[in-house]
Amino acid sequence: MIEFQNVSKAFANKKILDHANFTIKDQEFFVLVGPSGSGKTTTLKMINQLVTHSEGKILINNEEISTANLRKLRLSVGYVLQQIALFPNLTVSENIALIPEMKGWDKAKIADRTNELLDLVGLNPKDYAQRQPSELSGGEQQRVGILRAIAANPKIVLMDEPFSALDPISRRQLQIFIKDLQKKMNLTVVFVTHDLDEALYLADRVAVMNDGLIQQIAEPADIYQHPANDFVKTFFKEYRQNLSTVSVENLLLTELSVNPEAQEVADNTAISEIINRLSDKEVLKYKGKSISSDDIICYIAGGDK
Amino acid sequence: MNQLISTFQSQQGQFWQALLEHIQISLISIFIAILISIPLALLLRRLPKIAEPVLQVTGIFQTIPSLALLGLLIPFIGIGSLPAIVALVVYAIFPIVQNTYTGLEQIEPSLIEAATAFGMNRRERLMKFELSLAMPFIMAGIRTSTVMVIGTATLAALIGAGGLGNFILLGINMNDVSLILIGAISSALLAIIFSSLLKFLEKAKIKTILISFFIGLLVLGGSYYRPQTSNHPQITIAGKLGAEPDVLINMYKLIIEKDSNIRVNLKSNFGDTTFLYNALKAGKIDLYPEFTGTITSTFLKDPVSSTDPNVVWQKAEEGIKKLNQFTYLSPMKFQDTYAIAVKSDFAKEHQLTKISDLANVSGLTAGFDVEFANRSDGNIGLRKLYGLDLNVKTMQNSLIYKALNSGAVNVAEVYSTDSQIKQYNLTVLKDDKNLFPPYQAAPLMKESLLKKYPELKKILNKLSGKITDQEMIEMNYDVNVKQEDAAKVAERYLKSKGLI
Repeated sequence: MIEFQNVSKAFANKKILDHANFTIKDQEFFVLVGPSGSGKTTTLKMINQLVTHSEGKILINNEEISTANLRKLRLSVGYVLQQIALFPNLTVSENIALIPEMKGWDKAKIADRTNELLDLVGLNPKDYAQRQPSELSGGEQQRVGILRAIAANPKIVLMDEPFSALDPISRRQLQIFIKDLQKKMNLTVVFVTHDLDEALYLADRVAVMNDGLIQQIAEPADIYQHPANDFVKTFFKEYRQNLSTVSVENLLLTELSVNPEAQEVADNTAISEIINRLSDKEVLKYKGKSISSDDIICYIAGGDK
Repeated sequence: MNQLISTFQSQQGQFWQALLEHIQISLISIFIAILISIPLALLLRRLPKIAEPVLQVTGIFQTIPSLALLGLLIPFIGIGSLPAIVALVVYAIFPIVQNTYTGLEQIEPSLIEAATAFGMNRRERLMKFELSLAMPFIMAGIRTSTVMVIGTATLAALIGAGGLGNFILLGINMNDVSLILIGAISSALLAIIFSSLLKFLEKAKIKTILISFFIGLLVLGGSYYRPQTSNHPQITIAGKLGAEPDVLINMYKLIIEKDSNIRVNLKSNFGDTTFLYNALKAGKIDLYPEFTGTITSTFLKDPVSSTDPNVVWQKAEEGIKKLNQFTYLSPMKFQDTYAIAVKSDFAKEHQLTKISDLANVSGLTAGFDVEFANRSDGNIGLRKLYGLDLNVKTMQNSLIYKALNSGAVNVAEVYSTDSQIKQYNLTVLKDDKNLFPPYQAAPLMKESLLKKYPELKKILNKLSGKITDQEMIEMNYDVNVKQEDAAKVAERYLKSKGLI
């Protein structure tokens, strides 16, 4: 459990984070989203103290981190960067082995773990273990970047826009992979992105940030239907406008409608229109199947079909 | 080219010694510079505010002319390898510091962020990736420094540190282009070889680099190892530049080693007069041959008016004892002083044997150097004492022989033991009115040396009164023109006289 209690951070006179109060639950996929400069990366980096907070308290499992042993804290929190930042002088397996080595694991255990992890992401250890990072594609590099972060079984993994520099296909693959991994390993993931699609697909809860203030923290469907304020509404509206060109036929509807009250939607209705109507009515239907906000999220998360 | 090869062959023994010294001085300097520069660069990285000014200052060190730096160091640390190494280290530091600093600064900040986030401390970061990533830069810096140091190390010869610069110095002194070329070409080749070795290492793994440096250090250390063959006492005898002192100190060595258990370490072509004098004072050397006239005029600053060799020697002996507590033994016979020479056939033609005979020949042209032309014991004396009114052409010393040989002048000022006297078949005219000051060579040493090894006096005195002008000319000729080894020439003479 990660708790932010009245946490603030100021550079010069500018508040980057202003009295943040929130709790990230264990095994939660928590996504910080917002326009650039909103303070989301700063918030993330406070958790492993790459950025120190000027006010307030941050607690991990009820221990205040500013007084905790920094090395111990960092060794127990995984970190994945947008720049990937594999060490170019080390091989793939050496990069993965970095934190286990620092934790003093024995060599055989490290070798086993490295191979196991490479198998996990579909990189054949025989083929990949001794390669230089420069010999991998961007997507492969970031897989190794993730493996490096989780190699020593951290409970918490921090990810700072890890997929934003990747091509769309790799990005999608890695989104599916990390979501799956989080569930399998029972990880608490704190994830920063400016990509709403990504946020809505991955998150158990989304925190929308703007100007150093947390605007709203809620589950994706909730935040969609009940924006807490104008900023969140506009942030999503701008996003929805992109959906105005996509129509209802593109939704993959599976659930048969059992609600006779539900309004029927005409062909070619834009998804943005459906989203607006869903905020008044609970459910709509199209060709006998029901449309819920979950279907919208599913569509968004699945991208173009 | 043939000249170059034959000079090289005759100098081979000295060449390998000089090459070894050169490599030793250069590599020690580089290793020390590395040991200073890399930690300094690491420190600067932690103190970004002072990094720029410090880099500027180390840059300024580089602009001090190396000759000036060597000169400045002499009062503090004297002569020999130590000041040479200090100066070379000062030069070598800047490229290594600058490159190490740049190499570390160019590392992607995201890598440092990642490492920090993983909990690495400064040392772990350095060892895990920073040094590796900066290594090509560091190696390039070391390469730059090495090339520079090997080149600059030729100047070390000026302060008695030896090395290939000795050949250049000797070549300049003896006006021998081959010697200069040997020194210059070999030091250039050495720089190229080391540069390409280091270039190769730039791309190597950090492990290979470290192993190579370790091997380098071992070899360097090993090159200083001298098997302890005996516990004989050792003394160091040095000589000025040129063939004559080289032959003399080899004679000293041969007779000392024959008649005592003292082992002699020779430093031939060690430097010029004041340099050797200071080296003796500083205890860097134990003994060297010096001329009577030089002691009175240069060290005692009390030129003797007498032209009686014995009077001059006594003055020198007494004066230098008072001044420096030096002991000056009795001189050898030959005089290395000014002399007037003519071509032998010219001498025959005009029946010339002594300087006064020149008065009988009219219309003589003389080749003198500027100094001789204006000295009271030079041309002025010739006019006053001998009543000669020569048509004087002043020229550079090295040109006088050529001018005489070509017939451009009939009379020349020479030094009485120059090998050219034999080479150009000249006749030296007797100084029958004793115009020229006596310059006789004798061993000069500290009194304390004789206290420690009293047997040296008796041994060295065996040479006193030996070696005529003609014999010295012959020996100089053997070394300079026939390119024989000075040690062999010395040995042959001593054997022929039954001294060894």
